[in-house]
Amino acid sequence: MYGADVEQVAIELNEDPQQLEDFEARIARGEKIEPGDWMPKEYRRQLIRMISQHAHSEVVGMLPEGAWITRAPTLRRKLILIAKVQDEGGHGQYLYHAAETLGATREEMLEALLSGKAKYSSIFNYPTLNWADIGTIGWLVDGAAIMNQTMLARASYGPYSRAMVRICMEENFHKKQGQEMVIFYSQGTAKQREMIQDAITRWWWPTLMMFGPHDSDSPNSAVLTRWGIKTRSNDELRQDFINQLVPDLQACGLVIPDPDLHFDEESGNWQIGPIDWDEFWRVVKGIGPRNKERLAARNKAHDDGLWVREALVAYAEKQATS
Amino acid sequence: MPDTQWPRYMVFVQEQEKDPWRHYGTVHAPDADMALLNARDVFARRPQALGMQVVPAKLIFGKTLEELENPNWANEEIIGKSENYLIFAKPFEQSPCEQLGQVKANSSQDALKKALQNFPDQKALWWWVIPGSELSASDDADADSMFAPAFEKTYKNQAEYHTVTLMRELHDTGKLES
Repeated sequence: MYGADVEQVAIELNEDPQQLEDFEARIARGEKIEPGDWMPKEYRRQLIRMISQHAHSEVVGMLPEGAWITRAPTLRRKLILIAKVQDEGGHGQYLYHAAETLGATREEMLEALLSGKAKYSSIFNYPTLNWADIGTIGWLVDGAAIMNQTMLARASYGPYSRAMVRICMEENFHKKQGQEMVIFYSQGTAKQREMIQDAITRWWWPTLMMFGPHDSDSPNSAVLTRWGIKTRSNDELRQDFINQLVPDLQACGLVIPDPDLHFDEESGNWQIGPIDWDEFWRVVKGIGPRNKERLAARNKAHDDGLWVREALVAYAEKQATS
Repeated sequence: MPDTQWPRYMVFVQEQEKDPWRHYGTVHAPDADMALLNARDVFARRPQALGMQVVPAKLIFGKTLEELENPNWANEEIIGKSENYLIFAKPFEQSPCEQLGQVKANSSQDALKKALQNFPDQKALWWWVIPGSELSASDDADADSMFAPAFEKTYKNQAEYHTVTLMRELHDTGKLES
């Protein structure tokens, strides 16, 4: 229905055709929609879903890397990793804020995460098995996130777009510290080369899945594109990412775990073999390697913090009345 | 007591001596003191702050350009009392929402009307008026301990990582020069 003309969409969504037309004209002019402005109910619903999922991903994303802070091999690497994990927590805050401008409350968003009702990026359901995973996550996972977030920085909803601009600036540090680590290990000792190859082998396919299903299997894409939330398709972004990364990984002497990978002269693209979508949907549906652990860790942190929340409220109330 | 994530506070930051106060985002906190501490952790992880102010988000009265087109906005239920109101506006998409000045007014609506009169040529995607008595600011005496540590954390700066040079060496010669 989202290829249809505005009157048809207005009927389907039970919106006023004139308001919807004005709204779509604003987006076509490149204006940002701001909190307080008129917007279709479906635009609000899709944004809350997408932004809160994005916020959850930042927060859950602290877990696989946070696990390595105590085991960082040097003080410099430890400082970098602490700063990176702290940044991810901050990014979660920016994004929850953007969702709150649409009327979602922090309590209901957290409840959705903790109960398992809300989704977050499946990449964080994979385990970090050796130290070289930290560099690989920085270069590959944060690199893929930057591709997606650079697009979202142009999204039609002002608060989401602005959160993305700030996040992208900070993510560049995350990507480059990881890339530096991968480069050094790939040129390092035999043990280091073995570790980094092992990490690349495990993270390659899950990273490509981060861009989401093929455009033909992506149920929300049409409406997100119609209203300027997404301006590029999953497959376009994934192909750009592959084209950027393959020559650099090969220059590092690393082997990409895809026997079908080849350069296609005609399109100028690096063509990959088939993605295992069964694995993708298994992890999305909660049967991934670490889904249960991640949610259990979030729930424990939330429950352990209850007495702090209560104590601070009690203190604030006492101050206010004294 | 029901579990809570605490109320929202809007956060404003002054980056340099001559800069106006700029809107940065929100934090949740049980009171203004905690809001300032949380705001430091969320918004000053990199060297960019001299001071911060917070105000409960629900006390901000704001209107977008689109909302101002409806002439009835000024007749809504009166919010706020007689006092000084800080005027904020966001002129363009690429520019920050920042303080333009302040007005003495009888209510939030009155403050916004006066702001529109005082700044007739001001372009604004939206306007905010904030009751001055409700703002809490960081203490100048705390500024060093709150904001200075970020200056030394140069490893958060992406320019510290020479990945472009390293990749060029690998592409050109197959090994690192250094």
